[in-house]
Amino acid sequence: MIILDKGTKIRKLAVPMQMPSHMEINGNHEVIVEGCTGVLQYDTEIVRIKMGRQIACFKGRGLVIKCLTCDSLVVTGFLTGIEFCV
Amino acid sequence: MISLRLTRWLLGYVRFSVVGGSPEKFLNNCAKAGINLWDMKGGAGSGGCVAAQRYRELRHCAKNAKCKLKLKEKHGFPFATKGIRKRKGILAGAVVFWIVIYILSMHFWSIEINGNTTIKTEEMLAKLSNMGVKPGVLKSDVEPKILQQKLMIEFPKISWLTVNTKGCSAEIKLQEKVDPPEIEEQSSQSICNIKAAQTGQIVSMEVYTGTPLVKKGDAVYQGQLLISSVVEDNLGFSSLRHASGKIIASTSRTLETEVELNRKVTNLTGKVVTRKSLSLFGARIPLTFRGKPQGDYKKEGMHTDLKLMNSVLPLSVYEEKWTEQKTEDIKLTREQAIEEAKKQIQNMQKEQLKDVKITEAKSTDKITDSKLIYTVYMKCEENIAQESEILIK
Repeated sequence: MIILDKGTKIRKLAVPMQMPSHMEINGNHEVIVEGCTGVLQYDTEIVRIKMGRQIACFKGRGLVIKCLTCDSLVVTGFLTGIEFCV
Repeated sequence: MISLRLTRWLLGYVRFSVVGGSPEKFLNNCAKAGINLWDMKGGAGSGGCVAAQRYRELRHCAKNAKCKLKLKEKHGFPFATKGIRKRKGILAGAVVFWIVIYILSMHFWSIEINGNTTIKTEEMLAKLSNMGVKPGVLKSDVEPKILQQKLMIEFPKISWLTVNTKGCSAEIKLQEKVDPPEIEEQSSQSICNIKAAQTGQIVSMEVYTGTPLVKKGDAVYQGQLLISSVVEDNLGFSSLRHASGKIIASTSRTLETEVELNRKVTNLTGKVVTRKSLSLFGARIPLTFRGKPQGDYKKEGMHTDLKLMNSVLPLSVYEEKWTEQKTEDIKLTREQAIEEAKKQIQNMQKEQLKDVKITEAKSTDKITDSKLIYTVYMKCEENIAQESEILIK
């Protein structure tokens, strides 16, 4: 049973209840990300996305966001690297 | 993928570009608002595509991201038909077109028959027509199972038949019965005598079973007993057998034929009139504006069905060929009449005297009124042995 203090924000409690992010990489030409909360940077050579507290950075050439919904996206193009910033 | 593209095209979509502000924020706003974007481009020329109906909703997202939207291209059915939709005639034409298509699809326009070998297609089509099944009949009027039964009754030769309805064509597939071979009567078990089939003089004899009652050189008359079925053994006991043998006798035969001297001969003059017509959904449309020729003409018709992808179309071409002919009265000369009579006699010999060897032949001719009577007397050698069964209870 969780007892809430007066100053506890509901948003802070919601974070650990969220589904962990899931990433699927097909070769080096497609990445399917589930649990994405927003796009931070979008260019043909770099796509940075927010995944909860993490930030994922896809580098490559001719990168395109093929599909974008409120919690997932598909990045296609010639991927050369993936970075995570915590 | 094709269905997705087709759906997008049917609903209509627009291509836009994002100017100024933060394109990333704009994309996030769209995602949160549940607006689906595709073909999104980043960098300097950022933009994408959206369904035409949802383009207005993008304005709010753009305003929050402090950027402006610029409409670049419009695609899809609603934009392609924008000018046409105002023209009521085209709309009415489209409605009429679909109504006509619907009405036409309620009928059978082609009837195909497959699998028949001895039964003629024309005969079957005529029977079907009598049953009310012909091109143009309503689909609801045709009951495949009842039609199958009716056809099976009409044509006892059919062993299996099915009526397949496929779109606007009815296909009748059938298989004909294969008659079992006739079982030969075991003649060797029955008891019979050998009698003379013709009157003549015996030239040679070969008796296989039975007791011969005549000998070589004897003159025999038609119906005379030649070989008896009663066989006596060495002990004096008699038994009945199936008599058999080959008895070659010299016989005489007469063939007579009559040839009419005065006759009517029809000759073609070479003048040909061709008439063509097109049959479309059962209605005949003349292609040649020429009436039926007057006079003595011989008519030949040819019906050609047009096919597309192995299915008969409700479109066919009918061609009539009218050839002029002239009838003349001629009188054959004696030589011409004899020539014709000889041909007739040869045909009669082929039919009646198949296994008969003709050793001598004499011919006479006689003209009476307008006829030539041609008679041939022949001496032949033939097998006169004829089985005559004895029925024993």
